[in-house]
Amino acid sequence: MKSWKHLILKTGIVIIILFSSLSSQAQLPKLVFAPQWLPQAQFAGYYVALEKGFYKEAGIDVEIVHPSANKQVTSLLASGKADVISLFLVTGMTLKNQGMDIVNVGQISQHSAILIVTKKSRGISQLSQLNGKKIGIWKSGFDEVPKALIAERKYKVEWIPILSTVNLFMHDGIDAMTVMLYNEYDQIINCGLNENELNVFPASRYGYDVPEDGLYCLKSTYANKKPELKKFLQATLKGWDYAAKNKDYTISVVLKRMQQAHVPANKVHQEWMLNKALELIRPGNKGVKTGELKEADFLEAVNILYSRNRIKPKYTFTDFYQPLK
Amino acid sequence: MKTHTLSSHIISYVLLFCIGLFLVTFSIYYYFTRSTIQETTKENAVALANNTVNRIELVLNTEERIPEIVAKMLESSFLDRDSLIPFLKSILKNNKNICGSSISYEPNYFPDKGMFYAPYVFRQGSKIRSTMLGNENYEYAFMDWYQIPKMTQTPYWSEPYFDEGGGNMLMTTYSVPFYTYKKRERTFSGVVTIDISLEWLTKIMSTVKIFKTGYAFLISQNGTIITHPNKDYVMNQSIFTIAKENNQPGMRDIGRQMIKGGGNFASADFKSKWHPGKLWINYKGLPSSHWSIGVIYPESEMFASLHQINIILICLIVVGLFLLSLFTVKIIRKLTSPLKHFADSARLIAAGDFNVQLPEIKTQDEMKELYNSFSYMQKELAEYIVSLKDTTAAKEKIESELRIASEIQMAMIPHIFPPFPDLPQVDVFAVLKSAKEVGGDLYDFFVIDGNKFCFAIGDVSGKGVPASLFMAVTRTLVRSISDKEISPSVIVSTLNKSLSSNNESSMFVTFFLGVLDLATGELRYSNAGHNPPVVIRGNGDVIMFEKTKYIPVGLFEDFDYGELSLQLAPGDKIFLYTDGVSEAENVENKLFGEDNLMKVIGENVKASPRDLIHNMEVGLAEHVKGHTQSDDITMMTIVYNG
Repeated sequence: MKSWKHLILKTGIVIIILFSSLSSQAQLPKLVFAPQWLPQAQFAGYYVALEKGFYKEAGIDVEIVHPSANKQVTSLLASGKADVISLFLVTGMTLKNQGMDIVNVGQISQHSAILIVTKKSRGISQLSQLNGKKIGIWKSGFDEVPKALIAERKYKVEWIPILSTVNLFMHDGIDAMTVMLYNEYDQIINCGLNENELNVFPASRYGYDVPEDGLYCLKSTYANKKPELKKFLQATLKGWDYAAKNKDYTISVVLKRMQQAHVPANKVHQEWMLNKALELIRPGNKGVKTGELKEADFLEAVNILYSRNRIKPKYTFTDFYQPLK
Repeated sequence: MKTHTLSSHIISYVLLFCIGLFLVTFSIYYYFTRSTIQETTKENAVALANNTVNRIELVLNTEERIPEIVAKMLESSFLDRDSLIPFLKSILKNNKNICGSSISYEPNYFPDKGMFYAPYVFRQGSKIRSTMLGNENYEYAFMDWYQIPKMTQTPYWSEPYFDEGGGNMLMTTYSVPFYTYKKRERTFSGVVTIDISLEWLTKIMSTVKIFKTGYAFLISQNGTIITHPNKDYVMNQSIFTIAKENNQPGMRDIGRQMIKGGGNFASADFKSKWHPGKLWINYKGLPSSHWSIGVIYPESEMFASLHQINIILICLIVVGLFLLSLFTVKIIRKLTSPLKHFADSARLIAAGDFNVQLPEIKTQDEMKELYNSFSYMQKELAEYIVSLKDTTAAKEKIESELRIASEIQMAMIPHIFPPFPDLPQVDVFAVLKSAKEVGGDLYDFFVIDGNKFCFAIGDVSGKGVPASLFMAVTRTLVRSISDKEISPSVIVSTLNKSLSSNNESSMFVTFFLGVLDLATGELRYSNAGHNPPVVIRGNGDVIMFEKTKYIPVGLFEDFDYGELSLQLAPGDKIFLYTDGVSEAENVENKLFGEDNLMKVIGENVKASPRDLIHNMEVGLAEHVKGHTQSDDITMMTIVYNG
């Protein structure tokens, strides 16, 4: 009789544990993340963390959504369709100054990937020779750094807004073009121009090594979901770490994402992008850890965005950056 | 020992020569055929590419004119703003290849129409519909099809794209900038576009086939793959990304040449996963859109027909060489088969079968000559052998007769030793060895009147049967003369008279005759030209007789022979010999000589007559060392015992 009781007790405990674990599985805190662009290797770390289950391991249920032509990433954040988004540092700062109550919770990219590129055949070998020239620039933003770079030197250039392709540059409709090293620069190479046929002016070379991709959320989200955001950041960095060590796997994950989203997928280009994105993540000699925002970088961005224009920002570094400690 | 047949020798030389000849011929043939094929293929590939380019250009050029004309019309203000949509619709109605067309004005061109004014006409199923382009989410002024012709001020064929709205067709847009006059200034005012489906282009390209797996592909001005048998490449890859993915810098170089509008036929300096091995490529640019067509094919297929012919050729040659060998072997065997027969016949003839059947030769060639020679030889040999048989028989008969003659001759001279057992005063031993069956030497001894011992030794000039007969005559005469005379000089003189008369053959004989008085030991002798005998005294002195002054008997009938005397003591010996001893020659033609003769005698002074003669024979044998005996050898030793 005693053994029967014992068995029933044991079974009961097992069932309780089982149910409680199942229910906790089902009730993992959900977090929606939206990168600032369509699927590509620039966001490989997030895809890998999701595919390898790093988020689940950390105890969060992450969903990745992408913006579309009609729905920009900031609107996803504002409407609550995304909890955390990826933005350029200068974009995030601009938004905050415009009144959007966001905070930076992690700085993934530590360097600037922005270049101004010209064909050698155009005869522009010095930055100063861009004076009076037509320069293509993204219509969708990211233009603060190159514009500041040119403005500082008081060059008069005609900025030609471009949607997404490098065709206008290839057809010599413009003299130069601002490009991302990890994206448009390789597209130009993949259109048949050789690197030795190009002159490049990287923003970082002229003192504008401003970090780019960072993680942003509404201040309210930060207050409510700080533990989950911390887990998200750590699992994301783990994803990037895994991506660095397993590039073939990572590329296959990225390509799968791109195909699902019906985005033209090119393996070679994505490999290039992954390698460059991984280079951008490393802080190098900045004196911060991976995923952290350095105050000097913030101040550099403040300088580019406001000080030049004699505007005082409405927030301080500590208002803007909320490290997930 | 391995024997090689004549045919195998000939066939190996013939084969070697034929193979060499074949290799040289084949190499030349291969080289020229290969270059011809390459040249022809090049011409075909160039023609194929040109033809394809022309077919595509025909369409593109036709379509290009439409927006160009519209742009001119807009510039000349021929078209009313409100008639644009019906006008565009009529264009679509009359041009099946055009799927859509727009006239897109610069933003804010018509202030009363708002920001955007861009009537657009397009096909939807079988209907032609119209709409206005441009809104906040579609700012066409920043689209490539608008921006590029605007900025470059030249018409622009857009990079092909999949039109997701219109049935996911591969499309391209041709945009022509148009200008209007504002304040009398020619100002950019917008672009005229036509959208063209590229389905027909894909069809044209898919019909381009070269060899078994060769194909054509089309790339855009950016190198993007527009058509390719591998559908995954289309619009996803550019020739440059494929080159990079497969690490083929050569492909990138060709891609760069292609997008620059170049044309060339070249060995492709890259490898492909599609086909291992060397590839050839011919490319040519489309003048209108600046796209480029590439025709690519494997070298192995270009030369496939050549390789097929080569294999057939090699097979034929191998079979041919085999048949040639077979035929040559047969022919040579047939031609040379009599040789084997001749060889067998020769062996049989050598073995004595002269009547052996010779092979039958029907041809009139060297073999017939050989047959004639063989046949002649066979006949001659047979005759020779017959005569040889006769000769041999005759010779054998002569030899047999000579043998008998020799026996008779030997029987004439005393040959039983000791000859006089009951006559103790004297002992004799003698040998006569003829050089031929019968000889011309002689010796003889006999007792006269019971107390006189007569002995003689002689050497007839010449040898053989005549000498033997002369010897027999001499011996008989000596015997008959000594019946009546006991004086050596009388006997010799008488003998000389008898032999000299009727001596037609002019033969003569050196002759020594001695008569020993057994009672007194006085030796009287007469030497007619003979070798001087040697006296061996009982005390060991050896003295040669003085040389004679008398000529041999039988030469002059009236020659007077004298006689000399020598007193022998008991135990003295006399050694007589013919010149066959003293003149015995060895191989070096060196004579035995009187010195050697005296030396042997000196060493045998105490020996018995038999031993002395025996030892002299040994000495002679040592000297001549097997050299053929050329003269009769006769030796005689007499001992006077007193």
